[in-house]
Amino acid sequence: MADPREVRLEDLPGPKSREELEDMKAPYEEYCRKIFDVGNEFIKPGALEGIRWLSCTMYIFTPHAVANLGELGAEIIKIEFPRVADPMRHTSPFNECYYYPLHDTRPKSGTGIGVLNANVNEYYISLDYHRKEAQEVLHKLVKMSDGLTECYRPGTFDRWKQSYRYLQEINPRFIYVWGGGFGYGPKAFGGSYDILGQSHAGLASITGFHEDFGGHPTKHSNWCIDWYSGTQITVAILAALYWRRKTGLGTMIEFSQVQAATRCIGYGVPLYGRFGVVRQRWGNWDTQLCVHGIIICGKSDYPDEKNPQLRNEARYVMVSAFNDPDFKELCTVIKRMDLYEKYKTHKERVRAEAQVEIYQEIEKWAADKSRSEVARILTEAGVLAMPVKNDKEVYESEHFRQRGTVRWMDDPMLGDVVVQSTYSAGLLSETPRRKFWDFRPVGADNVKIYHELLGYPVSTVQEWYDKGII
Amino acid sequence: MPREPQEIEIKSRADTLKQRPWPATPPPSREEVAKVYAKRKAEDFGAWCEENLWFQKAFEKPEALQGVRVLEVGLWRLGHKFCTSLLAELGAEVIKVEPPEGDPMRKLTPFGREEYMLKDKKTGEPCGLEFIHEMRNKYSITLNLDTPEGQKLYKGLANRADIIVEEYPPGYMDERGIGYRQLSKINPRLIYCWIGELGQWGPEKDRLSKHGQWMLDPFGQVACSFVHNTGYPDDFLPRGSGGDTTRSGVWLADYVAGEQAAVNILAALYYREEKSRRGQFIEVTAAEALMDILDFDIAWYGFNESIKARTGSWDPNLNQYAWNPCKDGYMMIGGQTDRLWYRIGMCIERDLPQFGRLIHEDPFLKEVAARNALQALTKTYTLTAMWLRDINRVEAEEKLLQYEIAAGPLLYIDEVCEFPHFKYRPWVYTIEDEHYGLLLYSAPPQAFQMRTPARVKWLGRPLGHDNGEIYQKYLGVGQRMQEVLKEKGVL
Repeated sequence: MADPREVRLEDLPGPKSREELEDMKAPYEEYCRKIFDVGNEFIKPGALEGIRWLSCTMYIFTPHAVANLGELGAEIIKIEFPRVADPMRHTSPFNECYYYPLHDTRPKSGTGIGVLNANVNEYYISLDYHRKEAQEVLHKLVKMSDGLTECYRPGTFDRWKQSYRYLQEINPRFIYVWGGGFGYGPKAFGGSYDILGQSHAGLASITGFHEDFGGHPTKHSNWCIDWYSGTQITVAILAALYWRRKTGLGTMIEFSQVQAATRCIGYGVPLYGRFGVVRQRWGNWDTQLCVHGIIICGKSDYPDEKNPQLRNEARYVMVSAFNDPDFKELCTVIKRMDLYEKYKTHKERVRAEAQVEIYQEIEKWAADKSRSEVARILTEAGVLAMPVKNDKEVYESEHFRQRGTVRWMDDPMLGDVVVQSTYSAGLLSETPRRKFWDFRPVGADNVKIYHELLGYPVSTVQEWYDKGII
Repeated sequence: MPREPQEIEIKSRADTLKQRPWPATPPPSREEVAKVYAKRKAEDFGAWCEENLWFQKAFEKPEALQGVRVLEVGLWRLGHKFCTSLLAELGAEVIKVEPPEGDPMRKLTPFGREEYMLKDKKTGEPCGLEFIHEMRNKYSITLNLDTPEGQKLYKGLANRADIIVEEYPPGYMDERGIGYRQLSKINPRLIYCWIGELGQWGPEKDRLSKHGQWMLDPFGQVACSFVHNTGYPDDFLPRGSGGDTTRSGVWLADYVAGEQAAVNILAALYYREEKSRRGQFIEVTAAEALMDILDFDIAWYGFNESIKARTGSWDPNLNQYAWNPCKDGYMMIGGQTDRLWYRIGMCIERDLPQFGRLIHEDPFLKEVAARNALQALTKTYTLTAMWLRDINRVEAEEKLLQYEIAAGPLLYIDEVCEFPHFKYRPWVYTIEDEHYGLLLYSAPPQAFQMRTPARVKWLGRPLGHDNGEIYQKYLGVGQRMQEVLKEKGVL
């Protein structure tokens, strides 16, 4: 114990060194840049180093739950069926975009871009659970791992005697995750995808334009609900790891992706429960705020481009002025003070009929302008506005480049690829996320895992490969 | 049990705003569901799952994050609220610090309708549903961070906290001497997470308007190309009538940022406990967190300068994988691998024989990846919609599930709440709240766990409800002092 009469530098308030003093005095933005130190992630440790996780997953939802761990430093072993592999490897928009190299599972076309970002930083092995040799191998892996995530239909792993019922006997610390559509209950065996989550859980019914405006329920582009639900599994896994530190016991987590979509429909559920009111779609406007919506402008930002996504679509802009002084400013800019006089309070503005009128008037004003003009005029007037960005503009954005969230990397398998994920899931000052490779071929790490980790002779590994076990 | 039809007289809007009984019809019994398991020879496994994961047993089990203390300071947005909801559902003690006038989100209500707000039983103070729904398991205290006394009290709380989740404009807390840079000096174990729309640094960081208005979602959705890529194309529906770029109906980017913040925080917590004994600074933004999950879109631009276009409710990467109109709404059907692809056809063929001939026997459609070409999508969905137009959702679902296909109707929220599977587990559930009465809410998806399930202990909290307890317990500031501080505008 320290002598209480002794005055130690570290006990005194204030900075302890010149460097720290400079840190304290630096402008805030500079301080943030320095502490996150984007681009130098690899000199810092990963938060979850030492955790080993098995990923018996396919598609996006459950793989993403594990990839989050991998980005944070855990060692991941992804197990695929030999030759069949993760079906996501076939997936590519309009069958157009494939990554090489060629491999015996995809000899003609390479791997579809659809699999990108879902299984980063993992070791890839193959294993056919149907074969009797497989069980011993899997049990050995379970004994030396912290957990497993799987996405097969309920009862499948149980039939193969590798569900949590069995695995907890051989490793009580094991954390077992099943992720799928439904979980126990009458529709337990129903399969699920992202789009089923969107449609089945009510999210689609409130996204898009109302049928009175000619719209249909609209799919969130991308497999948003897959990714979003996967991240929520990671939350549950990390909490279970935290709890395991105290008790030494693992757990089983059953996670329904469709339910995760219901979780994010906000006031929809309590509104129905209390008042019997069913929330409907409200297009590009906001049900709770006005003005806070996306409008269309008359002119394109790229009238001469060949690509219709630039020529025709670069016309939308987000405008937000819901507080009274902001709305007044907006009305001044569009020279419609009568609107301000009519809808002075937010309560009046946000009514449905008022919203229809107000947005129409703003669009009339924007009819002879391009979206960047609109954004510039409004921003100069001190009102919040931003063009709706497309992939090209996001790629070229100086903001994301400086923050390191869009960057090129030299992938060992794929060469130069643009990275839009991992780093964008959050900046951490001490244990930043990082990506060292994206996907690898099926069974690329069979020797590393079966021979080096589990101690099987290389000849046995070769024999298994020839027999189609791996 | 069929319900008796009731005569309902509607004379005014007030007559329609009635609490609905939930569930309107009882969920399937456990015996009926046991038969479902038996059909797939999984009786034992089904029984084991229900025994060990049963939702209603949550309160018999411990909480994973017991003993973790979290301060939530933020206004307007959902990111910080969802993040701390996730932590609070798993057992963390979350204290929401609000300015004396409260989080403005308390006043938000759809279309400004006050009749949709809930009144506190004791004070009559109204509060919006969105706020109440995300205020689960959290304490509410008031504190004016613009006053020196308020800042001092806040430092005291920060000293006792494991985690702070902050969502104020960039540098707001730092200017007041209560940002990460200052607090980490007095509490090195502190894990501090800032959440925002675009960032607290960088050329396009979060801005305020001239009059101080915040940037809220969907700015995050707009900034990452999500909105540009979502919606029906204009050659499918006319522009201005559904054929436009479309935002998510909810503040999706905020939700995604919130959950990634929770992941980063828990990883940092694990690292602190296992290794470093020190906290760290985390920053998550809505725009980037959503960009993280935009599949491969930006990478695709890097690959060959493709700019993703809108494809409505179809997916350019998978076939079949879409919802299409049917007799009474929309029906989602999915199945890409050969096994599922041919099963969908076998099901549809029973009613529409030409489906097999035109789809299954088309040589072009035999290879799994080739089915994603645009003309293949058009052909498949045209024929599928031909089948769907004569049947309703329930019939279609029943037929497709016989073939074990991932299929389901597009449901509206009332239908979601009454869907048999959803109310069996249940995914929406009721709670009798101390202040706001009987509420229906979305249950946490992390609630189905063997040892430490997530749970909702209460919903909503009137402004400053927990001042008395929290200030007494953590700072020793008693009743009398609290009154003085309240008078001075500090609490």
